[in-house]
Amino acid sequence: MTRRISKYKRFLMMNPIIQFFKFIYLSIKIMVVVAGGHGGTREIN
Amino acid sequence: MSRIVILGAGIAGHVAASHLRRKLPKEHEVVVVSPNSNYQWIPSNIWVGIGRMKPKDILFPLAPLYAKKHIDYKQAKAISFYPEGDAEELKPYVLAEYVAGANKGTTEKVTYDYLINATGPKLNFEATEGLSPGKNKTHSVCTYTHADEAWNALNDLIQQMKQGKKAKILIGTGHAKATCQGAAFEYILNVEQELRRHKVRDMAQITWISNEYHLGDFGMDGMLMSYGSNIMKSSEMVEMIFEDRGISWILGVGVNKIEDGVAQYETLEGDYKTESYDFAMLIPSFSGHGFKAYNKDGKDITNKLFKGFMIVDADYTPKPYEEWSVQDWPETYQNPLYPNIFAPGIAFAPPHSISKPLKSKNGTDITPAPPRTGMPSGITAKLVADNIIEMIKHSNNELHHKGSMGNMGAACIASAGFGMTKGSGVSITTYPIVPDYNKYPDTQGRKLGKTFGTIGLAGHWLKLALHHAFIYKAKMKPFWWLIPE
Repeated sequence: MTRRISKYKRFLMMNPIIQFFKFIYLSIKIMVVVAGGHGGTREIN
Repeated sequence: MSRIVILGAGIAGHVAASHLRRKLPKEHEVVVVSPNSNYQWIPSNIWVGIGRMKPKDILFPLAPLYAKKHIDYKQAKAISFYPEGDAEELKPYVLAEYVAGANKGTTEKVTYDYLINATGPKLNFEATEGLSPGKNKTHSVCTYTHADEAWNALNDLIQQMKQGKKAKILIGTGHAKATCQGAAFEYILNVEQELRRHKVRDMAQITWISNEYHLGDFGMDGMLMSYGSNIMKSSEMVEMIFEDRGISWILGVGVNKIEDGVAQYETLEGDYKTESYDFAMLIPSFSGHGFKAYNKDGKDITNKLFKGFMIVDADYTPKPYEEWSVQDWPETYQNPLYPNIFAPGIAFAPPHSISKPLKSKNGTDITPAPPRTGMPSGITAKLVADNIIEMIKHSNNELHHKGSMGNMGAACIASAGFGMTKGSGVSITTYPIVPDYNKYPDTQGRKLGKTFGTIGLAGHWLKLALHHAFIYKAKMKPFWWLIPE
């Protein structure tokens, strides 16, 4: 069944104060994923 | 002294040039050969395509920056490769033709010690009959000029809708093997929001058309992701967004012909259908540039260097989908035959697609090509630059810097609407880009904690922040290197 976005969810998504903290959280979380390094896949441990 | 020649000044080429110049002493030459006079931050093209940014906001001229940073710049296009030189020129070189300035039309043998092919893709509009930006009511957002034209056409349509015209808008992929679904996804959501802003949303029927088998495939076989406290598939997330925005969809199809306001397509069931529209933005297929390569005797060795795109350290052995693995994907982007040639970003030939390959009942491949744009382009270009720097400094050919797309995370901050208070973004991070089914067998090949999605205003702010941060970085302003790729 298709999920829809409820009014409450939409409020959370568009509330600038909540989203400001989300912005900080997301910036850090994305930085961790992206700057967390990369490497090869062929070396056998 | 070494001479490093970089073909292309897009994300990959410019990242490689800037890191090489910063880290190498001045006695080494860094040369950029690109037919483009401007650097453009391509991810913001979608905002040009809805009139919320001007082309000047997303580009800057390359020549003054390169002159200031002691990077030699030739506004020329590469024509052919001579990795062994020829009878007259003993050093390897690329034959390039100037496209502007006093030397326009003349060719030059640009010799090199190391070559980085960062020429990106050719936008292969010709592969779909009738698909051409600005013709047959179809448009593109692949370049800032295309995006600007798209906005002019969309704006005309909006004005007509304000006069009472009902319109059909079609956005998605314009070829059975197109990639870059993410850009089309961003554009359709931005267009939808702009129609609401102009109070004409109820006058338009908006349809997504794509070669993806599922919504949210994005050429990466879709993904299982954390979403708040839930775990959901990317297909469910995109379906939820499209339902919320009133966007309908046509999936698993290959657009094969465009006529004035009509897209013809083939379905996986083998049926041929049409969809009419008043405005369309369809991403073309990407292809290699058709470069030729010759050995020192003048013999054609194109197939040793190119397989559409450039051959690198991938495993190109044909094998069925069930036997694909992350080990097939390249780690160093080095050509196996000529170790001083590298191809980061979109310029390397992928071993195969990431999404499961599907054919229509008529035998037509309808499968998204693997994405290598944006973040992977920057990361692979930097690691190539770092390897070349080590090769020069330590005079050895060992490559310590590796970055397989099977061991690399990526963030896709997809704009879903522009505006500091009304905007929205769909933030998706994926780790790894190429699913590793052996390492993460229960979560569709991806690590759940690092593969997550979220929707909201913060996503728009993040995309806008990245826009300014990456243009700052590309302009090589103070401490630019602290901003990661």
